Amino acid sequence: MLTYEEIMLLVTALASLFSVIAVYYAIMEKNLVRAVVFSAIQSTLYAFIYYMLMAPDIVLVYIPVAVGLYPAVILILISKTEKVEKQ
Amino acid sequence: MRHILGIIIILLFIIGFSLVLTIAGNYILPSQEIRSLAKYYLYLAYNPWHRNFTVMSPEAVTSIVWDFRGLDTVFETAVFYLAIIGSIALGRGILKYSKPEGELGLSLIVKTVTKISAVMIIAVAASIALHGHLTPGGGFQGGATAAVAPLLILIIFSHYYLLEKGVTKDLMLFLRSLGLTGIGIVAIIVYLIALPQGIHAYVLQNQPKPDSSIGLPAYINGQLISGTLWFFNIFEFFAVMAGFTIVFLLITIPERAFKKEGEGEKQ
Amino acid sequence: MISLPTYLLTIIITSMIVNLALALYGIFFKPHLTKKIIALTILGDTANTFALIVGYRRWIYPDTPSRPPVLVNYANANQEELIKFVNTAVDPLPQALVLTAIVIGLAVTLFLVFLALQIYRLYGTLDVREIKRLKG
Repeated sequence: MLTYEEIMLLVTALASLFSVIAVYYAIMEKNLVRAVVFSAIQSTLYAFIYYMLMAPDIVLVYIPVAVGLYPAVILILISKTEKVEKQ
Repeated sequence: MRHILGIIIILLFIIGFSLVLTIAGNYILPSQEIRSLAKYYLYLAYNPWHRNFTVMSPEAVTSIVWDFRGLDTVFETAVFYLAIIGSIALGRGILKYSKPEGELGLSLIVKTVTKISAVMIIAVAASIALHGHLTPGGGFQGGATAAVAPLLILIIFSHYYLLEKGVTKDLMLFLRSLGLTGIGIVAIIVYLIALPQGIHAYVLQNQPKPDSSIGLPAYINGQLISGTLWFFNIFEFFAVMAGFTIVFLLITIPERAFKKEGEGEKQ
Repeated sequence: MISLPTYLLTIIITSMIVNLALALYGIFFKPHLTKKIIALTILGDTANTFALIVGYRRWIYPDTPSRPPVLVNYANANQEELIKFVNTAVDPLPQALVLTAIVIGLAVTLFLVFLALQIYRLYGTLDVREIKRLKG
């Protein structure tokens, strides 16, 4: 059977593998609104990794900043300028 | 569909490369011991038996941010201040704009839900900022959480709603200056108290030190406030919240206020 | 055979390195300014994660987990409990530095968004190749 430490590290490793998928889609996507949504998914997975690394202060800063403020400000920027990246 | 191949290649690369490194490599990983500097900080964060060296706050990260490494936080506040000043300078020279006719903002259901949740967000943020010296929390955390509420109101209602309620750029500038002045005063308050009595004291001092026997009280009426940490957290909360609200007010000004005269519409 | 905790920690560090490489590729080779800003935020967050991994501490025995650097019952603390806290807690110094870094990164990103808006008002486009052609 797995010990408790191995279970915890397994969950963290799975979260970082999923974050690689989210970052790849965020960089390669042409529609900018979908790229912002993938960036928010990556930030949620990073917040979970920070919680597993025993840093509760960082989780309390990171969730409003990276899941709330960044996507909202970049969405306002997109709605005032272009929505799709060309070529 | 062609993205799937790239993703599979990257994941296989990670899994295989880690296996090779684990078998054949000898490199730095987190170990079971931490540095001796970290052990000193953890030992001296709350230690009533070494009264001249401790911070009297059971939260080690807040005691590092505002007491052991207080000068770093002062310079970080200065950098944040300069970024806000730069953003305000880019928003000058706008024409007057008036409120258009009709119903503004999103639908009625969203407006009703926002009225409840914006008040709850500010209450939770104030709670996070006030107990930052006992449990995880503090000034930055509370200020960033409280900045989400004006952003919600700006997007769902409209820019004009917030201006009608009295939350203008000048009021937020005044609140931010109040917060920064508060931080500056609390940083030198022990020095000012010790000056008429002729006792030697330092700037950014919190508790009594070995060669300066004056400091702010750690307990008031049985409640733990850890000296200057509680006041720092409150003033930082106001400064960060007001700074972010200024930036959001400037970024949602409608585009027609920026057109110069004589420039026609794009056909 | 290999030990499982070492392998899992290596997976975490390698995936952070791959994230860093993807974010750098996005900053250099994507011509739209908004995509560059998104990639810059990903780069900053990954650098903060590296700093936190340096400060982590492995479990000493299989039943004493490492804990966050907060002393829970401070009202009736004695010397033995303080020594046990020092021996099992995670390093608090990288967490304080990452706190500062997140706030500064946010302020710089907001300033960059203002600059991007101003460029759009002057040139009418946000594509770097078009701006290079139109400049002047």
